Amino acid sequence: MKLKIAITTLLAFVLFNQAKAQEKLEITGYARNYTGVLTGGDNEFSIVQNTLDLKFEKSSDRIAFKVNPYLYHYFDSDLEFGLREAYLDMRFDKFDIRVGKQQIIYGKAEGVFITDAVSPKDLSEFLLPDFNEIRMGITAAKVNYYFGNSTIEGVWAPVFTPTLMPEMNSIWRPTMVFPIAPTYDNSTTEITPSLENSELFLRFSNMGSRADFEIVGGYFWDDDPTMHITKEVDPITMQLIGLTVRPEHHRLTMGGASFSTQVGPTLLRGEGGYYSGKYFQTETPTIPDATIKKDYIHYMVGLDYTLVGVMLSAQFIQENILDYERGIRNDEVESTMTFLAKKDFLREKLWLELFAYVGLNNEDALIRPKISYAFADGFDIQLGANIFVGNKGRFGQFDANDMIYTKIKYSF
Amino acid sequence: MKTKTLTMLILAFVVSGFANQSIAQLTGQQIMEKVYNNPSGDDTQGNLAMTLTNNRGEQRVRSLKQYIKDDGKVEKKIMYFLSPADVRNTSFMNWSYSDGRNDDQWIYLPALKRTRRISSDSKSDYFMGSDFTYDDLGDRHPNQDNHKLLREETIDGKSCYVVESTPKEEGYMYSKTITWVMKDNYLGLKREFYDDRARLLKVLTIKEFAKIDGFWTIQETEMHNVQRDHKTTMKFTDVQKNKGIPDSRFTERSMTLGS
Repeated sequence: MKLKIAITTLLAFVLFNQAKAQEKLEITGYARNYTGVLTGGDNEFSIVQNTLDLKFEKSSDRIAFKVNPYLYHYFDSDLEFGLREAYLDMRFDKFDIRVGKQQIIYGKAEGVFITDAVSPKDLSEFLLPDFNEIRMGITAAKVNYYFGNSTIEGVWAPVFTPTLMPEMNSIWRPTMVFPIAPTYDNSTTEITPSLENSELFLRFSNMGSRADFEIVGGYFWDDDPTMHITKEVDPITMQLIGLTVRPEHHRLTMGGASFSTQVGPTLLRGEGGYYSGKYFQTETPTIPDATIKKDYIHYMVGLDYTLVGVMLSAQFIQENILDYERGIRNDEVESTMTFLAKKDFLREKLWLELFAYVGLNNEDALIRPKISYAFADGFDIQLGANIFVGNKGRFGQFDANDMIYTKIKYSF
Repeated sequence: MKTKTLTMLILAFVVSGFANQSIAQLTGQQIMEKVYNNPSGDDTQGNLAMTLTNNRGEQRVRSLKQYIKDDGKVEKKIMYFLSPADVRNTSFMNWSYSDGRNDDQWIYLPALKRTRRISSDSKSDYFMGSDFTYDDLGDRHPNQDNHKLLREETIDGKSCYVVESTPKEEGYMYSKTITWVMKDNYLGLKREFYDDRARLLKVLTIKEFAKIDGFWTIQETEMHNVQRDHKTTMKFTDVQKNKGIPDSRFTERSMTLGS
């Protein structure tokens, strides 16, 4: 940890000195306090986090760079240092090349990930942080070729970055129920960086007067490991005497598309992806490692509308496992909806917002009301709540984690 | 010689009388068409500082850089927000069509790293918390209103036509507007906006204008909401006309890369 702090200090020192020397180096960022308290039980703090997020950027007509280090300080642990992004840009007349750690975002859906499969997710606090904090940067080379209002983008990621899961004792760790305590075999968890293990993505996008659309494809590793489970049974008593869980990432192939267009006063958005090679958990006893490989489709249709100054948005999302077999733990079709209502008052100084995920299969939900007030330019105070409804499902499993929080943020 | 001079004088009198008669015969519609058709160049670029003042005199300043290009069929506008810090590097693009169909609008939010199309139907929404609605900032076509020349009047030493415009469309956010149009250059000098109950809502005043690169250009304007007593001042600096802004300025790439 001391090394990390030393690196941060050194980096800040170097960049600040560069800032002095180079007039055009821009330094922006924010400082934020985020305090959340659970509303149930003993009203424990779920999070007390101080953040310093800095962006160092410099650009000219042909070249640019950006470094975005961040520092989290938690009340119950050490400093956490990281780089959200750190890349170099080379710009030509018709194309750009970006090399380094970068966040790459696909699709038109809001708050859900359908074809948005390039940047892995930091789920250490479930889906609660801002989305630029949930999406992690990946080390990649990206080439964009432009013609008219269209772009072709190719991404080569030589190093695989998996989803960052919550710590074992975290309240956000998804529940996994086993009949007996399992043993973990992590021998297949790592993906060795090599040419064969690279990830590839391709995107064509067009922004036009009638509609925007993009077509994407990818050959990559599943960010979430499949849990291969081996059972050991006593041959005499036929009792389960051992369980070994072996996490392993598998290759996925994805093809998809998304669009947005205005229909009268309404904005219509759609997105869909076909995933091939996904492993699902199954309870079928004849399958030895409790996993089965199936293709699935994931799609969304959404509407945005403004009514008497209130921005309204609704999305219907469905995941559908193809060639479904009994025993698979996931439902064959899982449906989710999202709702957003947002309005400003006092000439954009005060914002009221309500966002909700609703799981239709398990009748669970995550409801997120918040109020934010711009105390001064660049200085925001936010008060919000995360309310989990139901007792099972993606959101209901965190029913005990209802919380209220404040965020105080100064942007500079 | 005397005959020639007399003829010239008579001719001058006739011509000037004809000209005066022609001006006197201008209708409200014709005046507003002249305002609409006032040449503004094929493209414009410059910086904009917007100062929002509330009824306690507290001020907030937003600054941005904008590029506008008009080929007669489509007016394309892109704005890059420079300050305050929490909106820095956000960009907004609008394509407005002369055939009357809905505008196309996009916003790029750097935190989300995504350019997203937004609904352009909310023209009555206020732009960045200012006293200007999106519709106030656009060029409203004269055929969308009925116009009536009320009178001629001199304000601030400038001779003006005073034209009342009532919308043809039902439920429009203003019940009427009254515009003071300068006779010598057909620039609007002042405009009053009346709410749906026909009460005065806002007053737009042009504080400063000049001829830049051969085109009459507004350099400073103020919108005063008289009902809530707050104001927005827009000041344009480094204005340049007809510099040949390329089409590539109005693309997703340009929104993402910034000004």
